[in-house]
Amino acid sequence: MAWIVKNSATMQIERREDPYLDDELKKMLETEVIPRFPSRQAATLPVLHAVQHKHSWIPYQALEEAAEFLETSASQLLDTASFYDDFWLNPKGRYLIMMCQSVSCELLGQMDLLESIKAKLQIEPGQTTEDGKFTLMTVGCLGSCDTAPCALVNETLHENLTTENFGQILDGLE
Amino acid sequence: MALDHPVLTKRIPTPPWGDPRDRKLIDIDMYFDTGGYEGLKKAMGMKPNAVVELVKEAELRGRGGAGFPAGMKWSFLPPVDGDRRYLAVNADESEPGTFKDRLLLDYDPHLLLEGIAICMHACQLDTSYIYIRGEYHQQAKTLKYAVNEAYENKIFGNESLLGQINGRMPQCYVHRGAGAYICGEETGLLESLEGKRGWARIKPPFPAVAGAFGRPTIINNVETLAMVGPILELGVNWFKSMGVPRPDGIPSTVPASYGPKLFGVSGHINRPGIYEEELGIKMSHLIEEFCGGMRDGAKFKSAIVGGISTGVIGPDDYDAQLDFDVGAKYNCLGLGTAGVIVMDEHTDMVAVARNIAQFFSHESCGQCTPCREGTHWMYQLLSRIERGQGYAKDIDLLHEVAGSMGALPSGQGSTICGLADGANWAIRTIVDKFRNEFETRVKKKPQILQSVESVNDG
Ligand SMILES: Cc1cc2nc3c(=O)[nH]c(=O)nc-3n(C[C@H](O)[C@H](O)[C@H](O)COP(=O)(O)O)c2cc1C
Ligand code: SF4
Ligand code: FES
Repeated sequence: MAWIVKNSATMQIERREDPYLDDELKKMLETEVIPRFPSRQAATLPVLHAVQHKHSWIPYQALEEAAEFLETSASQLLDTASFYDDFWLNPKGRYLIMMCQSVSCELLGQMDLLESIKAKLQIEPGQTTEDGKFTLMTVGCLGSCDTAPCALVNETLHENLTTENFGQILDGLE
Repeated sequence: MALDHPVLTKRIPTPPWGDPRDRKLIDIDMYFDTGGYEGLKKAMGMKPNAVVELVKEAELRGRGGAGFPAGMKWSFLPPVDGDRRYLAVNADESEPGTFKDRLLLDYDPHLLLEGIAICMHACQLDTSYIYIRGEYHQQAKTLKYAVNEAYENKIFGNESLLGQINGRMPQCYVHRGAGAYICGEETGLLESLEGKRGWARIKPPFPAVAGAFGRPTIINNVETLAMVGPILELGVNWFKSMGVPRPDGIPSTVPASYGPKLFGVSGHINRPGIYEEELGIKMSHLIEEFCGGMRDGAKFKSAIVGGISTGVIGPDDYDAQLDFDVGAKYNCLGLGTAGVIVMDEHTDMVAVARNIAQFFSHESCGQCTPCREGTHWMYQLLSRIERGQGYAKDIDLLHEVAGSMGALPSGQGSTICGLADGANWAIRTIVDKFRNEFETRVKKKPQILQSVESVNDG
């Protein structure tokens, strides 16, 4: 988690005209989120969640904009954002598959399930399919050990998975 | 032994009282109709300090892992000074094998909100943040919905019946985490709440004195707070009629194991799920009466008692009594979250250890060298033992590395937080209790001879 190596200072940041943190988003955050905390920096996680919810990932330009909004430095924000597994500083697929690989799930067949999904999508955990549809990740316990093995696909939890039903679930996605 | 009636799952159909298929979200009207917020009403008729004393007397122990008495924690707060004081609700639930808080968040969120309101009154806390793990998408939505209902019904907000606390009207916010196990550790949670990486803080100062934003802060687990309403409503004697009292001769400063508790059981059993029982229930009873026995009639081999951090108990401990003393009795870390993972005779304990080491090596926040490096090395060692490429001396090395990390004396006080203690106990208890499985997996000759041989062969 804390091991993401930062790009060097020579990195080129891709920029676009339109801000990621647009006025509408800023207004919402200013009225609904900022007042919750005694410091602006404390709104970091909600702000990053909001940016990611809108854009699917958090580009560097968005980090800079968020830093300005939170009245902190971009490096401070990068420090925070890069610590958390759920913040994407690189683009991901339209569907993010987070397969639980903790004990209860492994005891109940997660490894075979993972092999079948890898074969089906032709990717390894951490990779995205060429068409940009799926990103596959293995993660720690999802808090649903009674219905192991399980996986989150975007915000939806799928439980009691088998090679067959999980394959069908993925096939059914647009 | 069985509870007369469920308390935490009163409104959540759960065997033996109800069928999980009948579960639905209890909204605030249904909650009121079934005796909800009675505990809060009672608390509001009492002086804040009297509520703290009552919870202290009940000896309610934290349900988040460490088992620290809640009333005692509450009484550590300094006197009010008119400035802000916080409640941070720990809904991070990321300990592998743990899914009990989710049940409450999914179906009966007001049980938690009632506990929060009582705690805010008792401890004079004006703002609460419910820190919920990022992966609980649905649960966060449910919680926000319930919090809204509570605002509309004057539990929180500018018209709150609690009135002003520290000169402010009480507020309650849902705050989403972003996928970091360490943010379940109370001070990691606070750092995260402040918008930083979730690096655990060195204690003291304890959060009750200087917590969120440097102000006095109480941190409690979801289930702990959910228990507070029923305690106020039904009383201390009722609460203490369940569980395991202190043995004779033990001083009253040592907390006992009272009250009902959620047990989440998963693994090789027929009916995994959350079951409510009093503390002290035998694991065999849980497996046979609630969980429909071992899967495929297989034999019991081992169990993780309360999330992977607590380590394992062995084949002879099938009847283990699950209370806060489980650690001392069966040589594991403790009751933890009471998330029991049951493993049958076909389980490969080397693989289990490797799985656990992998988790900790990924989740170590990296501040302390013994934890950051140690968890990683344990994962490497276990992976190679699992592949059949380990050496006999690796087993002792593994044991030594595990025993060198942790904030507790068993980890030589070498780290800041308890994550390393979890890694230590999990790996050490597996190696100790199933050493033969490791021995049959490793190459018999010492590494130096192996390399001499390979040189000669070459
Ligand atoms: C690495 C680590 C992770 C933890 N994760 C959680 C968690 O997810 N939920 C929780 O309630 N407590 C967790 N705890 C325990 C908390 O630090 C703290 O003791 C607890 O939230 C206090 O609440 P309680 O007294 O009501 O149990 C964790 C502890 C450690 C060391
Ligand atoms: S023990 Fe591990 S997780 Fe805890 S503070 Fe140290 S490095 Fe971080
Ligand atoms: S172990 Fe997979 S959800 Fe808990």
